[in-house]
Amino acid sequence: MPAIAAKTNATRPRRTADRDPVSDVRLITRELAEVAEYIAHVKREIGELRANELYRERIPTAHDELGSVVNATASATHAIMAAAEEILCSQEDTFETYKEQVESRVLAIFEACSFQDITGQRISRVVEALGQLEKRLSRFASAVNARDSEKGPVDPEDALRQARKEILLLNGPQDEDEAIAQDDIDALFG
Amino acid sequence: MALDLSMPILVVDDYQTMVRIIRNLLKQLGFEDVDDASDGTTALAKLKTKKYGLVISDWNMEPMTGYELLRHVRADEALRTTPFIMVTAESKTENVIAAKKAGVNNYIVKPFNAATLKTKIEAVCGA
Repeated sequence: MPAIAAKTNATRPRRTADRDPVSDVRLITRELAEVAEYIAHVKREIGELRANELYRERIPTAHDELGSVVNATASATHAIMAAAEEILCSQEDTFETYKEQVESRVLAIFEACSFQDITGQRISRVVEALGQLEKRLSRFASAVNARDSEKGPVDPEDALRQARKEILLLNGPQDEDEAIAQDDIDALFG
Repeated sequence: MALDLSMPILVVDDYQTMVRIIRNLLKQLGFEDVDDASDGTTALAKLKTKKYGLVISDWNMEPMTGYELLRHVRADEALRTTPFIMVTAESKTENVIAAKKAGVNNYIVKPFNAATLKTKIEAVCGA
């Protein structure tokens, strides 16, 4: 509230002799009106966040979509690996039966790969939900001139997770241009 | 020196798919005695009951990471010489340096191929 903060000097108590009760009341009234206006503005911005829609619909949907993607990729990977293992371990005696088995398993691999189309659509929905979240939060942060707390994560479990990640160097996969290449690793090991 | 294909290998990864991939690759290379564990704690218990010729471990696991497992192995008198290869998606230079300082024998970033795995096993196990 910069307008209110700037008035700090103006609201300093004056000597009793200088005081004009009417203008004091006017000043306080004006400041209270500004506070009320600011509160109304913040309330409007909170409303614009549509937080209920985010946490009741978009975020749970995104959560479910990602869960489905994990399941679909795991299931497809399992099917593809099972088919490949069957080919590798084939005990067929003749070329004809071996060919038949390979063709059948290759077909199973093609079928399993169809997961990509569906997971692509699911991930698009998650990307859209994240985009909405980012847009609304960014609008809200700039509308209320929000600054991040310097106290660190509010959630103690998250704080523990972050500390563990830092201590045990759990950085996860890096972007392609930031990740160290296998050749560079090999050079380190001489 | 040829690779000893009879040596027991312990694969440590919390993703069963990755365990399966590494198992199949090792099988293609001729290794038959392959065990697996889904985290560092289970791996350490297995290492104390059987003598392994090689440990191939992921980094990011719960509750004990591969990095912690490596440090435990190197701190244990009976296990400290066991060859240890880290196979991980952790691709920051600081991870590689930390693992090297902790005594890892080689480091492979995911995704990797059979040829890379074979080359590293040969380098570590003295083929």
